[in-house]
Amino acid sequence: MGIRLTLAVRYLRGRRLRALLTTLAVVFGVFVIFGMNILVPTMKDAMQSTLMAASDKVDATVTQRSGEVFPASMLDTVRSVPGVRVAQGMLSRPVNLPAHFYTHDASKPDRVSVLDLVGVVPADAQGMSAAALQEGRFLTADDTTAAVISRTLADSVGLRLGEPLLIPSAQGTTPVTVVGILAPRTEPGNERVLVTLIEAQALLAVPGQITSIEADFSASSQPERETIKAAIQKRMGPGYILGALDSTSSLYGALNASQIGFSAFAVLALFMGAFIIFNTFRTLVAERRRDIGMLRAIGASRGTVVGAIVIEGLIQGVVGTAIGLVLGYLLAFAGTAAIAPMVGQYVHIRMGAPRVEPGILIVTIVLGIGVTLGAGLFPALSAGRVTPMEALRPVETPSAYRRTIGVSAIVGIALVAVSLVALVSKNVGLLALGAVLFMIGLVLVAPVLVRPLALVFGRVAALLFARQGTGTLAEGNLSRQPSRAAVTASTTMIALAIIVALGAMTTSMSTGFLGILKKGLGSDYIFVPQSVGVWQNNVGATTSLADRLRATPGVGKLTSLRYAGAVADVASAGAKGAAASSTTSLSLMAIDPATFPDVSALSFTAGSEKAYAELAAGRAMIANPMFASSAGVKVGDTIPLETVDGPRGYRVVAIATDFLDAKVQTAFISQVDLARDFHRTDDMLIQLDLAPGANAVAVGAAVKGAGADYPQFSVIEGRAYYEQMAALFRAVFSGLYVLLAFLALPALITILNTLVISVIERTREIGMLRAVGTTRVQVNRMILAEALILSAIGTAFGIAAGIYLGYLLVSAISSAGFPSGIFTFPWQGTIAAIIVGLGFGAVASIVPSRKAGELTIVEALRYE
Amino acid sequence: MSLIRATKLTKLYGTGEAAVTALDRVSLTVNAGEFVAIMGPSGCGKSTLLHLLGGLDRPTEGSVEIDGKDLTKLPDTQLAELRRRRIGFIFQFYNLIPVLDAQENASLPLLLDGVRAPAANGKGAEWLRKVGLANRERHTPSQLSGGQQQRVAIARSLIADPALILADEPTGNLDTRSADEIAALLKKVSSEWGRAVVMVTHDPRIAAYADRIVFLKDGTVVDETRLTGKVGTDGGADSVRARIDALSK
Repeated sequence: MGIRLTLAVRYLRGRRLRALLTTLAVVFGVFVIFGMNILVPTMKDAMQSTLMAASDKVDATVTQRSGEVFPASMLDTVRSVPGVRVAQGMLSRPVNLPAHFYTHDASKPDRVSVLDLVGVVPADAQGMSAAALQEGRFLTADDTTAAVISRTLADSVGLRLGEPLLIPSAQGTTPVTVVGILAPRTEPGNERVLVTLIEAQALLAVPGQITSIEADFSASSQPERETIKAAIQKRMGPGYILGALDSTSSLYGALNASQIGFSAFAVLALFMGAFIIFNTFRTLVAERRRDIGMLRAIGASRGTVVGAIVIEGLIQGVVGTAIGLVLGYLLAFAGTAAIAPMVGQYVHIRMGAPRVEPGILIVTIVLGIGVTLGAGLFPALSAGRVTPMEALRPVETPSAYRRTIGVSAIVGIALVAVSLVALVSKNVGLLALGAVLFMIGLVLVAPVLVRPLALVFGRVAALLFARQGTGTLAEGNLSRQPSRAAVTASTTMIALAIIVALGAMTTSMSTGFLGILKKGLGSDYIFVPQSVGVWQNNVGATTSLADRLRATPGVGKLTSLRYAGAVADVASAGAKGAAASSTTSLSLMAIDPATFPDVSALSFTAGSEKAYAELAAGRAMIANPMFASSAGVKVGDTIPLETVDGPRGYRVVAIATDFLDAKVQTAFISQVDLARDFHRTDDMLIQLDLAPGANAVAVGAAVKGAGADYPQFSVIEGRAYYEQMAALFRAVFSGLYVLLAFLALPALITILNTLVISVIERTREIGMLRAVGTTRVQVNRMILAEALILSAIGTAFGIAAGIYLGYLLVSAISSAGFPSGIFTFPWQGTIAAIIVGLGFGAVASIVPSRKAGELTIVEALRYE
Repeated sequence: MSLIRATKLTKLYGTGEAAVTALDRVSLTVNAGEFVAIMGPSGCGKSTLLHLLGGLDRPTEGSVEIDGKDLTKLPDTQLAELRRRRIGFIFQFYNLIPVLDAQENASLPLLLDGVRAPAANGKGAEWLRKVGLANRERHTPSQLSGGQQQRVAIARSLIADPALILADEPTGNLDTRSADEIAALLKKVSSEWGRAVVMVTHDPRIAAYADRIVFLKDGTVVDETRLTGKVGTDGGADSVRARIDALSK
């Protein structure tokens, strides 16, 4: 161990710049993995605690599986269970607030963005809730517009006892009078507003409905309590669950999807890192052949030689991982701080401090160190095969080398062929595997293609630098070392392929999304709720709003969307892909089949517009591609949905999506069905067109006036909304390109590495060139030409590979149910790749060409 | 007493029509404490012979025995151990590890053999003093002259107390004065410190320091001479040069 460690440390110290650059590759991969996997779970956590904050500590909480409302009469069922001492029904719902609802000042940030509206029966609640009153009185049975609010809310809004508090409601806004203030609590979700159950039902337009039952038991021993819980569950039936609300939210699903996306990105980054380490260790072994041969000659065993190099990799892996972890945490910390206000305002979730799961810490460490070691192992093993003879005269064995590249080229072609087969399959898993195989295949094929490509690009360079003949020299230098040139070109290729592929993906996706957006939200005016990601936190409007709008002169066709959360039993429908659990949560969007097609439209992937009429016929659904693909639902299946009256079968009549619900498992049903089976009649989104010939200005003002009475909606013009969304997409994607350029950065390191080594190797040759009269400028140009040829090869490969990979990605995404549209050629990505590729090549040549230019002729000639 | 005995060593490079015979049934015996120089024109097989003697390469046919063990039959690990403990190597280009200092380079074989660093470095310093490099222990190879680097290599070859030192053109990269100093040092290695030294050289003046000179041509031993005259004198070198001239005719 001792000598191996000494050698490893000394070599690292002796080649500081290279060690730093290699370690950076590890740092980057670990940084992305760790940072993103802290950030996203922190958001999920925040969301869960916001959802959970509503529930107090009681013996049992009963909710509907979907989290939706159910009849208050179920309370009697719970009370009838022996052992239940007291039970109360509650209607609890987070209520999103419009921006600047209380401040009325756009320049000040909102301190409250969501209210926790809880309707209770005063007599029951006082006996059960431990919430201590700090001021005033509790609610009484005959209170109508009274509320007890939390201390934090009172302070944030600046309210005292007896003052009115405005609450967005299904009727618009409703003022309630503050009669009591509760002591502050430590958890998030402090913005609690207690009103009477009847008042809450009126505010939210769900008469006779509750969302949860809280029960306290008379028994105190654990087994007895379990027995009581089992009895409640039995009486309530499978449509209800005991315990806190499940994380069935739609946003939760979206977050999960984004975490997978970030992980994929991180794995790509780490793959790049592995490749760079592999490349570095390969060149390092090649450089040290003589040292290694000498060590072997004076009696070092293979194990010692391999060990020294593996330890070198280990040190870099450990250091790189450690730095990456620290930076990753900082990223998550900064990220949380940066997005917390945004998330608070738009998604209405309060972010906590970044949370590190032990699992992700371990996985990241194992990946970071493991990948470094794994990538360094092959070169280390090849170092073990260096014979002592090489100490005396290092010889290239070209015949053996050609055989190896011949074999790997054949393997590479085979892998590319396999990945093409995967393309045909349309299976997400196979497509992803195909993408990886394709990359590896290209890496293996690259060495064979370097020589002819170097020749082609060398010609171009020769034309550019015709007078000095440096282009020809550069081309020759590359052809002499095809394997190293290939590794460098391959790294550039991978980096750029990722850029182009993700470019293709984003372009195709934005085209797809915007297409659906234009189709679905193309009406003249849209009443959009505060949060389109989390439907269940929005307060809708009773039909009074739609009625008023319809009655407005100049308003033409109008349609609305309603929402309910649901649980679908996909296993009994014979659907595949639901092995672990047979049920899945689902967003139900209810449309009016008669008016919807006039104002809006879904984008169909299976079935046609005739499906609207089938919805009207009753208990039929249009599944969105997300739901269809993840639960394996087909047209013609009958999917049982849990309702308060037991499961009800809905027949799938088409597969289609709109813009807003594309990312979440959703089914579209009729509003009649929603009212009958899910007891929801409030409008969540209203779209309307002006009547032909109407005065746009006058009618627009009237429409906006109606909207002002319902502040939970933002009234926007359809075209403006489209423009706004398109701008958002463009902003997000340009941000993504910056991220991609960051990912390409390691390629620069590799080009730099190769060029530096090739200069060191040819010191003597450069000395000779200078001795026979080559100027410094000419030497610099020769190295620049080399760098440009190398990066041109890499760029050409990268663009070709990227377009293919992009196609794979788009296919994979659309088979996963996202509306990615058709494959769009990534012009932006390709241009970015060419600029990045050639630019990096030129930048990478600066250090080595300066180094070469600085060589004094005598020293260079003496160098051996 | 013979320390190393090579019997009918044959080495072919390549196969079939393209095969080149580098060595053709060469037999050689070296005694303990003997200084043998191997000479001959370029491509005569002298370096190949040295590599086979040191177990760096395996012969096509024949055997090499050190301490009665046949090197050609030892597995790689045991061969590595034998090189570490019984044989010292000196190369034309010194082959020092650039990132280690003189003392660490000298003590490398001991470190490789598992000797603790303080003990190994102590011995390294001692050998550096013996080869005339006192006060240069902390210098890295790039801070030493060619002659000094070769002295470090000689200290390295001696540190594990090997019985045999193999030197491949040890003065090939040095100026005349340094070359003489290194040759004299190698003479000292055999005469004072009792190691057998086998040195490949093409320089008659350097070969003249040896006890015995073996002449190779086209892969076979064509002549052998024992030097009895005064070591390192021009007369000795002249007679060696005369022999080489005769051989190359």
